[in-house]
Amino acid sequence: MNGIFHYLVWRTTRNRVAGQLRQLRQPRYLAALVLGLGYLWVIVVQQRPTSLAAAGVEAGLVELLAAVAVLGAVLWSWIFGAERRALGFTPAEVTFLFPGPVSRRELIGFKLLKTQLVILLNAILWTAVLSRDRAGLSTWLRAASVWVLLTTLSLHRLGASFVRTSLREHGWLGLPHQAASLFVVTVVLAAAGWSIADAATAIAAGWSLGIAEFLGALRDAAQGTAPRALLYPFELVVKPVAVGTPGEWLRAMGPALLVLALHYVWVIRWDAAFEEAAAEASLRRAAALTDPRTGRIGGRAASRSTPRFLRLGTKGWSGGAIVWKNLLAAVRFRRVRGGAIALGLAAVLLAVLSFYGEGTLAELAGWFTLTWAGVVLVVGPQWVRNDLRSDLLMLDLLRAYPLRGSTVVSAEVMASASVLTALQLSLLLLTFLAFLGNQTLEPGLGARSALFLGALVSLPLLNFHSVLIQNGAALLFPAWVPLGRDRAGGVEALGQSMLLIIGSAVLLSAILLLPLAAGGAVFLVLRTHLGLWSLIPAVPAAAGLLVLEGAVIVRWLGRIFERTEPGAGLAVN
Amino acid sequence: MIEVEALHKLYGDLPAVQGLSFRVGPGEVLGLVGPNGAGKTTTIRSIAGIIRPTQGRIRIAGHDLGVDPVPAKMALAFVPDEPHLFEYLTVEEHLRFVGRLYQVPEVAQRIPAILEEMELAARGGALPGELSRGMKQKLAIACGLLHSPKAMLLDEPLTGLDPIGIRRMKATIVRRAEAGAAVILSSHLLHLVEEICTRVLILNHGRMLALGTVGEIVAARADLAGRPLEEVFLALIGHGESDA
Repeated sequence: MNGIFHYLVWRTTRNRVAGQLRQLRQPRYLAALVLGLGYLWVIVVQQRPTSLAAAGVEAGLVELLAAVAVLGAVLWSWIFGAERRALGFTPAEVTFLFPGPVSRRELIGFKLLKTQLVILLNAILWTAVLSRDRAGLSTWLRAASVWVLLTTLSLHRLGASFVRTSLREHGWLGLPHQAASLFVVTVVLAAAGWSIADAATAIAAGWSLGIAEFLGALRDAAQGTAPRALLYPFELVVKPVAVGTPGEWLRAMGPALLVLALHYVWVIRWDAAFEEAAAEASLRRAAALTDPRTGRIGGRAASRSTPRFLRLGTKGWSGGAIVWKNLLAAVRFRRVRGGAIALGLAAVLLAVLSFYGEGTLAELAGWFTLTWAGVVLVVGPQWVRNDLRSDLLMLDLLRAYPLRGSTVVSAEVMASASVLTALQLSLLLLTFLAFLGNQTLEPGLGARSALFLGALVSLPLLNFHSVLIQNGAALLFPAWVPLGRDRAGGVEALGQSMLLIIGSAVLLSAILLLPLAAGGAVFLVLRTHLGLWSLIPAVPAAAGLLVLEGAVIVRWLGRIFERTEPGAGLAVN
Repeated sequence: MIEVEALHKLYGDLPAVQGLSFRVGPGEVLGLVGPNGAGKTTTIRSIAGIIRPTQGRIRIAGHDLGVDPVPAKMALAFVPDEPHLFEYLTVEEHLRFVGRLYQVPEVAQRIPAILEEMELAARGGALPGELSRGMKQKLAIACGLLHSPKAMLLDEPLTGLDPIGIRRMKATIVRRAEAGAAVILSSHLLHLVEEICTRVLILNHGRMLALGTVGEIVAARADLAGRPLEEVFLALIGHGESDA
């Protein structure tokens, strides 16, 4: 049976790549390929090698940071999960394989085989990046280390998805079957929580002193018994990537392979839970096949009520209907009212806490929310995809609507940009309130107020352009940009995601160049009189130019939308 | 009124539609028939503004689709063979969405009536994932009818409907035509075409083989006198003898 799976994966991949290469007959795809290869060359190959030692970072510390990052990724998959991606099968695979004479174990094997394609691509990317930084270890050995790390993480994510889905489906009845897994996860979570709480004050103090002090505090915190035990298995899988000589590599590879093998056994023995979990996730992924009786999509029951602020008026801009539809999709399966209440309570609590004691808890929360606001700003445009990246799959319908192309593009982009902006402003509000009572922090309260007001104006525009770039890519290269609500995810796809983020950031920088120059000029001229408050006139100046640029790009993409024909080899996730 | 003049559509070097011209007046139901790959869907998608003709002109309710696409599409309803629905919108929300899109006045008053007409009144709060194939099709049709279009393009509209639904849908199409809509209906169900279409357009290899009432088409071929549309169709596309 393995032969038929290899055949399916190989032919599917070959045909998909061939189809994408055929697009190179079109000049825009060819130009994109040349630019993309040049970009990869600059990012991966042409970067001047920098030794970590020269940068003053010890190898042990790198290992520790990598282990902490891997621990974070693992905890993330347990707490937040991503069943739809981890267990994703296409509707055709569900139709042919699930009722076919295929054992559950073989299905898991097929799933792992498919995952290997993404892992291998990302292993190559990471190897290229890491090999710049290391001497003494061949590229092949480095690639093998990265492959072991990514495969272990991928297996872990799959196993976590099995446990989570099985628990969700069977509730308390499923507990005995997952007792061992849940015990380990609970111990790890408890140890992580205890370690963080124990070291929080020292790490926060280190952070306020500088990066070197922060890293020192982190290293000291990792020396405790609980953190060392907690990080030990993660260091085992990270170590082969971090070592510098073939001898060290050989010694490190044994334990890493053992961890990988244990994960394989853990996942493969889940055969009973796998079929129902994967079928459930895949069928919901293919919404057309959703069980009509349950009305559950993506594992969550849909709320039928429409939030009051999202009622659609009968009159007004026609594009508003598309904005409304996409916003509704974004909030339909999330508890908006509960979230708003929690946000309000957190805001009051943080504001009060910021005035009491040394405000360590409020400060930690403030840095945390600020960091997340930054993460959402950078990564958010790839996460929130209720726009053309989803709707191009229904291009027939969109094209039949009585709307100009530019209206469709702007409405689609507006929805995702609004969701991102709401998220970022909520996080920034919490940050602002967490430092409200802080008298020592620089910049001071007045300047922070000005920055927050500036964010109110600039974030919607910034997000609009960030999402516009993603939508523009989907419109210009529909055969290359995967469409659908799911993006390629997981740690195994981190290399691809990073390249996309950097590429988008470069494009965004190019768009921002002129507005920032204009806004900067206004700021510099008025700064001597108004201080940081000169941001208030500077931001609108920059914003005006950004709006103008946005209008031009939307108009251009609108014309491309009007020329895009359904069936032009859309890349479906 | 739907007017098509010298419509050509090429996919690369492959001609999908070649020199097609016809018009459908208010109150008319034109049946578009032809074997697989004849160019029916390409014709309908060109008229719906989904794909751009390589050559030719299309006018909907007097508006040139190439020059003035928004008013042209405002007068048009397109119901595809596969119902494309938004998985996060309920049945009623789909209609509200379409109402805003087409600027339908008094949409709140129209929705209950159209849900009743499509037998979806009890499913107004359901998501597409909770609907059967036939119900999804009915919802897609309801979305098409909400703005009382002057021109309707129906691509295999009865797919997935049960016998009662088929009967109701046929009555709906006829009623809309009688109310003044110009309707183009593409279908492989020749008895349906024969039953509700006022004229028939037979396509093969992207070219028009015949256009007229069934009686007119039969009259043009003495050897087919008195034969049903199915046999006329098979004879015209060259399968009459071998398959009989």
